[in-house]
Amino acid sequence: MFDEKLTAHMAELSKLSFTPEELTAMTKDMTDIIALMDTVCDFSPEIKPYALDAVDYEELRKDEYQDSYSTEKILENTENVKNNSFVVPKVV
Amino acid sequence: MRYQPVMGLEIHCEMLTNSKVFCSCQNEFGGGENTRVCPRCSGMPGTLPLLNKGAVKLAAKAGFATNCTVNNYSAFDRKNYFYPDLPKAYQITQFESPICTDGYIDVVGGKRIRINRIHIEEDAGKLVHDDYEGVSMADYNRCGVPLIEIVTEPDFRSVEEVQDFVTQIAQRMKYAGVCDARMEQGSLRVDVNISLMPIGSDKFGTRTEIKNLNSVKSIGRAIEYEIKRQADILDDGGEVVQETRRYNDSQDNTKSLRSKVEAHDYRYFPEPDIPPVVFTDEEIEEIRKEMPELPQERFLRYTEGYKIPQEDAKLIIAQKEFSDFYDEAVKITPEYKLIANLMLGEISHQLNDREMDITAVTFTPANMAKIAEMAAGGVVSKGSAKDIIIIMFDKGGEPEAIAKDNGFIMDNDTSGLDEIIDKVLIEQADAVEKYKNGNDKLFGFIMGQAIKAAGKGANPALIKEALASKLK
Amino acid sequence: MTLTELRKKLDSHEIGAVELAQDYLKKIKERDAVINSYITVCEEEAIEMAKKAQGVIDRGEAKPLTGIPVSVKDNICTDGIRTTCASRMLEDFVPVYDATAVAKLKAENYVMLGKTNMDEFAMGGSSQTSYFGGPTNPYNTDCVTGGSSGGAAASVAAGLCAAALGSDTGGSVRQPSAFCGVTGLKPTYGTVSRWGLIAFASSLDQIGVVANSAEDTAYVLNTIYGYDENDATTSQKSMGDYTSMVGEDISKLKIGVPKEFFEGTDDEVREAVLKAADYYKHLGCEIVECSLPSLKYAVAAYYLISSAEAASNLSRFDGIKYGYRSNVGEDYNELIKNTRREGFGNEVKHRIMLGNYALCSGYYDAYYNNARRIRTQIRNEYSAIFEKCDVILTPTAPTTAYKIGEQENDPVKMYTADICTVTVNIAGLPAISTTCGYDKNGMPIGMSLTGKAFDEKTIVAVCDKFEKDFDRKECAL
Repeated sequence: MFDEKLTAHMAELSKLSFTPEELTAMTKDMTDIIALMDTVCDFSPEIKPYALDAVDYEELRKDEYQDSYSTEKILENTENVKNNSFVVPKVV
Repeated sequence: MRYQPVMGLEIHCEMLTNSKVFCSCQNEFGGGENTRVCPRCSGMPGTLPLLNKGAVKLAAKAGFATNCTVNNYSAFDRKNYFYPDLPKAYQITQFESPICTDGYIDVVGGKRIRINRIHIEEDAGKLVHDDYEGVSMADYNRCGVPLIEIVTEPDFRSVEEVQDFVTQIAQRMKYAGVCDARMEQGSLRVDVNISLMPIGSDKFGTRTEIKNLNSVKSIGRAIEYEIKRQADILDDGGEVVQETRRYNDSQDNTKSLRSKVEAHDYRYFPEPDIPPVVFTDEEIEEIRKEMPELPQERFLRYTEGYKIPQEDAKLIIAQKEFSDFYDEAVKITPEYKLIANLMLGEISHQLNDREMDITAVTFTPANMAKIAEMAAGGVVSKGSAKDIIIIMFDKGGEPEAIAKDNGFIMDNDTSGLDEIIDKVLIEQADAVEKYKNGNDKLFGFIMGQAIKAAGKGANPALIKEALASKLK
Repeated sequence: MTLTELRKKLDSHEIGAVELAQDYLKKIKERDAVINSYITVCEEEAIEMAKKAQGVIDRGEAKPLTGIPVSVKDNICTDGIRTTCASRMLEDFVPVYDATAVAKLKAENYVMLGKTNMDEFAMGGSSQTSYFGGPTNPYNTDCVTGGSSGGAAASVAAGLCAAALGSDTGGSVRQPSAFCGVTGLKPTYGTVSRWGLIAFASSLDQIGVVANSAEDTAYVLNTIYGYDENDATTSQKSMGDYTSMVGEDISKLKIGVPKEFFEGTDDEVREAVLKAADYYKHLGCEIVECSLPSLKYAVAAYYLISSAEAASNLSRFDGIKYGYRSNVGEDYNELIKNTRREGFGNEVKHRIMLGNYALCSGYYDAYYNNARRIRTQIRNEYSAIFEKCDVILTPTAPTTAYKIGEQENDPVKMYTADICTVTVNIAGLPAISTTCGYDKNGMPIGMSLTGKAFDEKTIVAVCDKFEKDFDRKECAL
């Protein structure tokens, strides 16, 4: 059921690119992995899906602002900076 | 063929909190690039969101302002997509369990527009395009600014309904203290979903979504353009493509935002870093009690309590600050109609001429109250009241001092008035004659002459009285 | 030497903090070329920290971890020190803040020796997916350390630190501790702040401790646990003083042995763990046979949940803000795809693909939501077991450490090997792994004790009792 078309679609959603050979290998691996995952499909759906325990509104963070980080710190892990901003190639 | 347009709205409002929705950076408009950013809102590895209580509270208030149910339980989800203005590559939003549901607003013609939900989410950053170098520059100051998204049912059938709804939402959010509702700055953003169906049909057509509408006027123009565009396609036997389109204000058209059909799959799932929020009934009630007066309530107070004509009341509440100014003034001097007239008259006139906003004037509601008090009490004439307003706009100052300095204080001493009037009656013998022969209109003319002769401080009411008795 | 003993020696000036640090750094130099447990050794910083610690000790202000040399897994952020997640993607990433756990250690003037090796982004059970090459098992350097906290476990086993911070998403502290013959504690979800732990699967991740004994792991946990306003998922329920039950009588406790955990395990592993059960029985503990029927769903549910969260958590790595950036890419879409293609290793890509598949419209309910339902079910089944017993005894892994290169290319085999550890993360419970025997090749066998939520104390005490009566073999380095 996991064919190369589906792998390619997942790769697009994942923003990963593969060579044709890699795509074939990934398709094979995904087929095997999904077969293992299929175990969950026969589980009885009568039970409520797990969710984190809720917290009370009163416990939320107070609406107070603090100093931000310096712009230098924020930009420190990339070299692609212009006008104190992150440089991004054009979005097509 | 003739078509019935069907529309629904998604309205994003930036909320007026002190800090951002998931971090403690200041929530403010503008500023230097990346100056209000921290590891959290720039999506650095290892960071976690921390939900702002203030944002939850304002979202609840937005719910109260739109007749929604504020839910006891609400939860957050991730909406996954890649875009360079979204540093985590997912937006934290509420998908399965929004904070508010099932509201409505009544619009023109008494039509009820249903609100499906209001949910909390985070804003994205801003991209500035450098066409010369063919790159974009990402500024994350706006990342994490708290938003609510108000989602309506597809209940709109006309442009007027849409425009009225948007106007009302902007007013209500403003009054509730949720959002400053500045469409031109993007603090209130409207997306319109629109489809056509043949008149008489009840089967909705394929819809498009129009983004980038930054005024109530452009919403109307964009919808009209889009109705025509879709109608042309359908008339030619074509099919409308489900897509997002961007409205271009200067060209007055809409253009498809994506060149190729991109399969959108946001892969929503529960946000594991933020526990769901529980509101007790008491907490919800506490917030409801804090709700300020909303525009529709204020409208009733003006029309039913103050007996202000509906049209005037509508004009006053249109801008919250203007209405607040009015309220402050009538609190001091309860001359409801007089103050309404002065504010919708000379003050609005001056504001328009000077391209100013009520928030920018230097005089106070107390000054306004004083003017009304003087005019009502016969200390100055209504005409002088307008003159005082103009002087306050020009130079500032206290109304009483202005009235004194400019001789606006009316002379209520009738001694000498007889002589002045007699003199005028002699001078204007012709007119008096004609008046006596039945030309009633000339009373005004004679009256004007008498006032002129009596000088600025004269009390028109007393002159009128004396003149009337003499001309009997 | 336990941390308590080390503390005494430092406080009595029998050892100096600087000498102690130098001693460890020297051993790292000698042994870590082969063990490869560290990605980054912080020689200068460690000496500086040790000097500072000595000053604190000299003033008589020492705290439990002052001057104690510790290693930190390389997915835990350290301000100013690169934190790579063993990925090319973050090879040069230098955090601008400390993880809360690290900040708490710093506040006690600990000595950080360096950042330890791991599976890339903590995804794996061998540590062989590290971009920097995998670590080797101190008991046999041809064998894997287990993972993903393989470097943490190996650094403790090889004597290259006194204790180590690791992280555990599906067994990543316990399984390498078992493979390397040391003790690993995974606290209850919400006990240690995740602020600064680079997320793999947010709802399952928990920082844990690897050390030479149960008592030592608890000793470190005493410093790093606690509610943190930076992490909304930390709990106010954590009690602290995790060593408080050590040495107390445990003979009245009931120990549950869920049969499903023994079904696919190697004979030697099963025998060693059942022998440990016998040991407790002889102490007077009641051994309760019990069952976790949904274990058969656990691996799939775990991989669906963790991969879904990982796919989302790892989407932020696009080459724009930090980390690796490809040279190839005319537009944003191309750049991001090439960056992720070149920056992520093969296993990480598998998880991202799986995660997006599980969340995709059309598949979401069958996979992701069913996994969430199974999560509820497994939690309920644990609750039922804990009505009848105090702790649960299981193997930590179905096998002992295997040869490097033996399993890594078969994802299904790798995933299935997590069967003994993932349910604890799914249920958010605390568990501790310790050595309970050795296989015919002399490789350590691990057993795990799982406790009720926020009851680390009991499992630490139960584990400690066993360790004190067990003859643990040092590795032959």
